[in-house]
Amino acid sequence: MIEAKEVCFKYPDGTKALKNINLKIEAGDIVYLTGPSGSGKTSLLKLFMGVEYPTAGTLEVLGQAIAKGQATNIRNMRMRIGPVFQEFRLIKGRTALENVMLGMRFLGIPPHQLKANASNALIKVGLEHKALSPVENLSWGQCQRVAIARAVARKPALILADEPTGNLDKDNALNILQLLTSFKDKDTAVVITTHATHLIHETKDIQIIEINDGSICHERLGLT
Amino acid sequence: MKNILYNTGYFLKEAKTMLRLSLLSNIFSLISTGLIFFILAMVISGWLISSEVVEVIQGEAEINVYFDEDIDNTGAVQLVERINDMDGVREARVVDEEEAYQRMVEILGKEARVLEFFDDNPFNAFIEVKIHLEKIEPVLERLHLMAGIEHVRDNREVLDRLQSIAELSKLLGYLIITAVGISTLVIISHIIRQGIFNNREQINTLRLLGAPENFIALPFLLEGLLLTLGGGLLASILSVFTLKQVYAQMTGPLPFIPLPPRETLVPGLVILVMSLSGILGIIGSLLGLSSAKSK
Repeated sequence: MIEAKEVCFKYPDGTKALKNINLKIEAGDIVYLTGPSGSGKTSLLKLFMGVEYPTAGTLEVLGQAIAKGQATNIRNMRMRIGPVFQEFRLIKGRTALENVMLGMRFLGIPPHQLKANASNALIKVGLEHKALSPVENLSWGQCQRVAIARAVARKPALILADEPTGNLDKDNALNILQLLTSFKDKDTAVVITTHATHLIHETKDIQIIEINDGSICHERLGLT
Repeated sequence: MKNILYNTGYFLKEAKTMLRLSLLSNIFSLISTGLIFFILAMVISGWLISSEVVEVIQGEAEINVYFDEDIDNTGAVQLVERINDMDGVREARVVDEEEAYQRMVEILGKEARVLEFFDDNPFNAFIEVKIHLEKIEPVLERLHLMAGIEHVRDNREVLDRLQSIAELSKLLGYLIITAVGISTLVIISHIIRQGIFNNREQINTLRLLGAPENFIALPFLLEGLLLTLGGGLLASILSVFTLKQVYAQMTGPLPFIPLPPRETLVPGLVILVMSLSGILGIIGSLLGLSSAKSK
């Protein structure tokens, strides 16, 4: 699903964000990328999304090489990813339902099924009663749930969540992490970045990869 | 294609939302494109009217051919037949002495009394030849070579001026239409670029979600198209009203100006303005999209 070999990434200003990253994530995995702010977690997620390209090494996501000159293939790959962005990236002036539907509109889903899928996703995140509310009227936690609904409604092979607990109180943060991990199944992997390691509910089937200063410094399974 | 069909309603709704979110700016854009199209409509109307006038005057372009006095009526008729067969000749006919005299009476009006001093009719019969103005040269050349022709009065100076007016009118028309067309393209592409800039967050999000470029672009294309069609409609309404007033003003005090019928001019003009607004809207939107994309 994701395979990184000696991946390095340097921003145009010369800042080295990632150094010799090696990792393999399979379908059905739940992976937490942890580390302090500025450690390189978001940069790694940007590479997984094909927003940036490795400056050295090779990276494959969902069978697609992340490299320059692959724009169309990377776009097709993104259709199979359910991203949950740090700042949600919900479209203002539209309702929660419209935002969830928007994430699926270009996937070739017939209109009647589109609405049903979006409504189901909102039910899963417990926001069916806010379906017709404009996203500006929703709280931070509710916006996070709409963003998750938009990601999972697409029935993605890979869910990528960037700091989904940021700005949430402990209870809400725990709920969000629990919600996200609940979408893991045998065909779907969930990758979550967070600096709040104390919120991770450790179980045997999760992987925790700690990143510091752009390198993987520690890698372990849950409860070990 | 399937995505586009499935999302037709969404694209229209998105275009409407984008228009609503920047309502004031879009109203100004609509008014400015409307006024530009109105200027274009007025230029085209003026062009059509002046073309009609020039055409009517051109239709009157004639040269007078005087033949040898010893040529009798039958010879004159034969000459007329040969002239009528020439390329560039609309019509040729004999104006006999009596008709020539009557014409002069009409021209002189009250002063026609002077003609009474002549014992005999002082005017000769001649052949009046109506020509296609642009073919005056070859017609004159051939007339000069024909046997039995004594003198050709070609009214060259007047005809040359007419020709210049017709050409100038055409050139001005083309220039103004080009200028208005370019202005519309610039305005529309700027509106679209502005719309893309205002919606850059949404566009980036859609790209991150894997949306194809045509899916992202279509609402902007529709926005541009709706704005220009709205502008075209506004221009058409203003033009219909203005032309009504202009015709009312011109047909009374200036009845000698040959105007094209309003019933033909107005529908043709409305169709032309609406088609142009649609075409320019699409081209302007595409230019705006491509320039924003390359940026």
